[in-house]
Amino acid sequence: MLKLPTAAIRWWLMKNKLIRKGDIAVILAILSVAAVLWFFQSRQADKLEAVISVNGETVETIDLASVKEKITFELDTEPKVVIAAENGAIYFESADCDDKLCVNCGKLSRKGDTAVCLPAKTVVTVSGSDIDILTY
Amino acid sequence: MKKIGAVFSVIAAVALIAFIAWDAVFNESASKSFFAMDTVISAQITGRNAEDILSETEKCVSELDSSLSRHDPDSEISLLNRNSGGMLSDRLGGYFRILLDVSKKSGGTFDFTLGAVSDLWSFGSSPKLPDEAELKKALSESGYEKASLSGNSLVIGGGVIDFGAVGKGIALDEIRDILEKNNVGEAVISVGGSVLLYGNKTAKVGIRSPFGDSGSSIATLSLSDVCISTSGSYERKFEENGKAYHHIINPETGYPVENGLVSVTVISDSGILSDALSTACFVLGKEKGIALAEEYGCDAVFIDENKNITVTEGIHGLVEVTDSSYSLVAYEK
Repeated sequence: MLKLPTAAIRWWLMKNKLIRKGDIAVILAILSVAAVLWFFQSRQADKLEAVISVNGETVETIDLASVKEKITFELDTEPKVVIAAENGAIYFESADCDDKLCVNCGKLSRKGDTAVCLPAKTVVTVSGSDIDILTY
Repeated sequence: MKKIGAVFSVIAAVALIAFIAWDAVFNESASKSFFAMDTVISAQITGRNAEDILSETEKCVSELDSSLSRHDPDSEISLLNRNSGGMLSDRLGGYFRILLDVSKKSGGTFDFTLGAVSDLWSFGSSPKLPDEAELKKALSESGYEKASLSGNSLVIGGGVIDFGAVGKGIALDEIRDILEKNNVGEAVISVGGSVLLYGNKTAKVGIRSPFGDSGSSIATLSLSDVCISTSGSYERKFEENGKAYHHIINPETGYPVENGLVSVTVISDSGILSDALSTACFVLGKEKGIALAEEYGCDAVFIDENKNITVTEGIHGLVEVTDSSYSLVAYEK
């Protein structure tokens, strides 16, 4: 592995008065903050979140990884729909619409997965960056 | 020396502030989803005044819905159907010219006059197997070849004009005009699964699984600045007497297409063309469909019931299969 002669570089910078001891402390502090921010941001990006929206408005956001036991959401839509989340997946459990296309979409568990109930104007999507958009 | 340093510091600070302000104004990003045209529309726009452009986009789609729906008695299309034709606006005339051209070149496998046939199947509400005699009558009365366009004067010789197969693509074309007019940098728009990628940034477009978990994608396409439309037999289907029927009708027979295909995706610069060609290519089948897409300089992805994915030459290397139960088949002429 390539080893940087850090002590030599520091000595050269300080000798030529390009950098002082205080500057090194500030640089180290900035780098530490950046590393912490990067760590939390990368954890956030990995998070598998499902978003339920009705008529374009977000009504629920669910962290799918944290759902251990089945939870259901009975939405006050017309027609009525029931959305369930369990074992890292989310799905339309039942719907009072005619075609049941939303229920037939099955379980959504990967980033970008989407199911729509047009009559109830309800969209369930698993947020993330695996794909930007779905064609169907 | 100290003065020069101070001047440099001020210039650097001003440049930094200007850069941040420029970035905040011109890279403003906004997204919205709404319902219109009997479908869900999602729009993500990056550029100056993104929120205002989103509102303009929503207004445009809603107006288009009122203009193109044959179920709205006051729409332009309803007026044309009632009067068996009429004078068209330049814009609508342009759309009809494209539709007539695709109908001719596809040998009638795309036909925009099948509204009456479509009504008998009732795919929009409670689908059912139509009466055979009624279906034959509706088919014989329809046909794009009975329609003619002279300048912007349209004469419909029979059938009921239905823009159901191309309305979403037309919406994409109209939205692109808005984005161009407003100098938008990038946008990703979906009108019920027909997609517009605007700008030079490459986006990953997932192709929806034709079986089972239809909310998932089975392959991705890495594309930029194009329209993408998909026709699939998985949408709007029903079962009667143990047989499944889907909504893509063969204009020759009046019954759903049965040729082993389950999904066709077409990539084109034009939304109306990608929509019309995805239907035409589905009806034509793989070989003839590929020939038609290539005649229009478009690329396409064909998925059959054996989970084979065939892609045209132009997008080799841009397709990634994400579901291992599907296989990518190289198409050779």
